Amino acid sequence: MKYILLMSSTRAGVEGYHASPKQDIDAHMAVLHRINQDLTESGEFVATQGLTEPKEAKIVRGEKNGLPVTDGIFPESKEFLLGYWIVDVASAERAYAIAGRISAASRNIPIEVRQFATHVGNPDK
Amino acid sequence: MKYILMMNTMKAGHDVLNWPKKDFQAHIGFMMSVNKELHGRGELVSAEGLSFPDQAKLVRAGKDGKPVTDGIFPESKEFLAGFWIIDVDSPQRAYEIAATVSAAPGPGGTPLNMPIEVRQVMSGPPPEML
Repeated sequence: MKYILLMSSTRAGVEGYHASPKQDIDAHMAVLHRINQDLTESGEFVATQGLTEPKEAKIVRGEKNGLPVTDGIFPESKEFLLGYWIVDVASAERAYAIAGRISAASRNIPIEVRQFATHVGNPDK
Repeated sequence: MKYILMMNTMKAGHDVLNWPKKDFQAHIGFMMSVNKELHGRGELVSAEGLSFPDQAKLVRAGKDGKPVTDGIFPESKEFLAGFWIIDVDSPQRAYEIAATVSAAPGPGGTPLNMPIEVRQVMSGPPPEML
């Protein structure tokens, strides 16, 4: 069963994190790295990525002529995806346990846990 | 350059199961043809759909390190419905692809023109943080 664990925060939350002491950020990164290693060893790791900062995010819509219209204005309350882990686990509880570990390493930030839909659309499947 | 294209929707936006079957099939068919084209151009890294928001959980670590799950979300929350990770030469190409999927057909074949959030994927933490 594949799950995606989504770590999100507001723009203010991201800026607060970046303002923290370098040693705290280093320690945080080291724990996340350790978690990735553990997931790799248990065969549960599929992928992880961090995203660039919210100030670089764009919202795109297709116009009537099919051309992209970009917009970078977001409400203060919007939560931005900071990064994600994709894991392949035996149960939902195991996905929650991994999410709990990531949360504990990251100032108890809530982690959204979502299962992959089993269908459609990927030519690799 | 890798980008993630995120299709977000409110809980109420997940009414696709109530669409007429042929409109739903046309929508999925369109997405599959976009994915095939991106795959053929070597731009598709992955594409996934997520299960519906009613199965989403929010997890925090409790004091003892055990996971505490919650499934209550504010009405205003946007949920990720699906995403594409693409590897392209420029942000403009990422926006073009986002516009293509934005215009996927909805009920009656009308383009949905749904907003697609475009974010660059980092290859690692920013150098100044290491």
